[in-house]
Amino acid sequence: MIRSVPVLKLATALVTMLASAPGFAGQLPIPEGPSSFNMRQDPMPELPQIKPALSYVVLMPSPDGTVGRVVLAGERGDKVLAQAREGAWLDGRGNTASVGKEDLDRDFSGAMAARPPMPEQFVLYFELGATALTKESAAVLPRIVDRIRTLPTVDISVVGHTDTLGKSEANEALGLMRANFIANELKQIGGKNMTITVESNGERNLLVVTLDETNEKKNRRVEITLR
Amino acid sequence: MSNKRFVFSTLVVWSLAAVPMMSQAQTESVGYVKTVTGAAWITTAGQRVKAQPGTPILMGSQLKTAPAASLGVTFKDNTVMSFGPDTELTVDEYLYAPAKGQLGIAARLDKGTLTYISGVIAKLKPEAVSVKTPAGIIGVRGTSFMAMVEESQ
Repeated sequence: MIRSVPVLKLATALVTMLASAPGFAGQLPIPEGPSSFNMRQDPMPELPQIKPALSYVVLMPSPDGTVGRVVLAGERGDKVLAQAREGAWLDGRGNTASVGKEDLDRDFSGAMAARPPMPEQFVLYFELGATALTKESAAVLPRIVDRIRTLPTVDISVVGHTDTLGKSEANEALGLMRANFIANELKQIGGKNMTITVESNGERNLLVVTLDETNEKKNRRVEITLR
Repeated sequence: MSNKRFVFSTLVVWSLAAVPMMSQAQTESVGYVKTVTGAAWITTAGQRVKAQPGTPILMGSQLKTAPAASLGVTFKDNTVMSFGPDTELTVDEYLYAPAKGQLGIAARLDKGTLTYISGVIAKLKPEAVSVKTPAGIIGVRGTSFMAMVEESQ
């Protein structure tokens, strides 16, 4: 036991030296005990298998089912991921490969369970040139209020829009009045974990693209996002 | 060695880049904590607070989870990120002013696990969204991904 300590130290030093050599970023298992090998008597054993640092990126489908792309610029190469569950080492070495469900569950179950709900969007429509909701949208507003009440914490953005009738400056102001009207309704809900931001896009962000000076009911709207 | 040197030089570049960025640091929230399990902290301008639902995230905030903890954050542009145990992420840059054409997210994942669902910024200006890690930079092209960074020994 005592005699083999220097041998173990030597083995540990060798392993440490290898670990710090270029290209060996991973952890190396330390030999398990004095019985693992004795340099004087035994031939040099096989070097332990080197486990690379498990640093990787994997492309996932978006919540809407589409699959985009990830472009990786790594220390040792560049990669493009274009298929669902295609993964690459973060340093860009080697080839990309499909990552199995077991691996994803093992590595990401904690992070996946913490994922907040996706933001929800609602659109309310307005009467011509006014801050009065259409009859249909007036009926939708209480449903949004109910939804907000179920959320433990919510930040809300309220963005007002207009159609292209009238001057663009006037429409900026009208969009803001519409947004403020809705924001004030939502503020009645109260609750300490609610923040509301209000802005106007005026006639700059049309839902239905029209020529200038066009009466279009779908453009007279407020978009509400609950996050 | 080459690995360490890379990490070191990258850190130098980042710390230099952080100087002009901090001078225009914004006091506006860019996102909020939505979920927390276990202990997690948000450090903004040297102030560390325990994360709870509703804790604001600002440009420059560092997000950290304890072992066995997790955290979920939703940003202004509907980007959704969540973090597993023993994770550190810094929001180096967050610009969301579509009317002025100012759009961009630069985050830095030093260790741990991240799931990422991109939002409006990645749709409007995909080349302006990146997550740096010690070994490589992830560019997001309007999508969802997950990344794990094991600290180099």
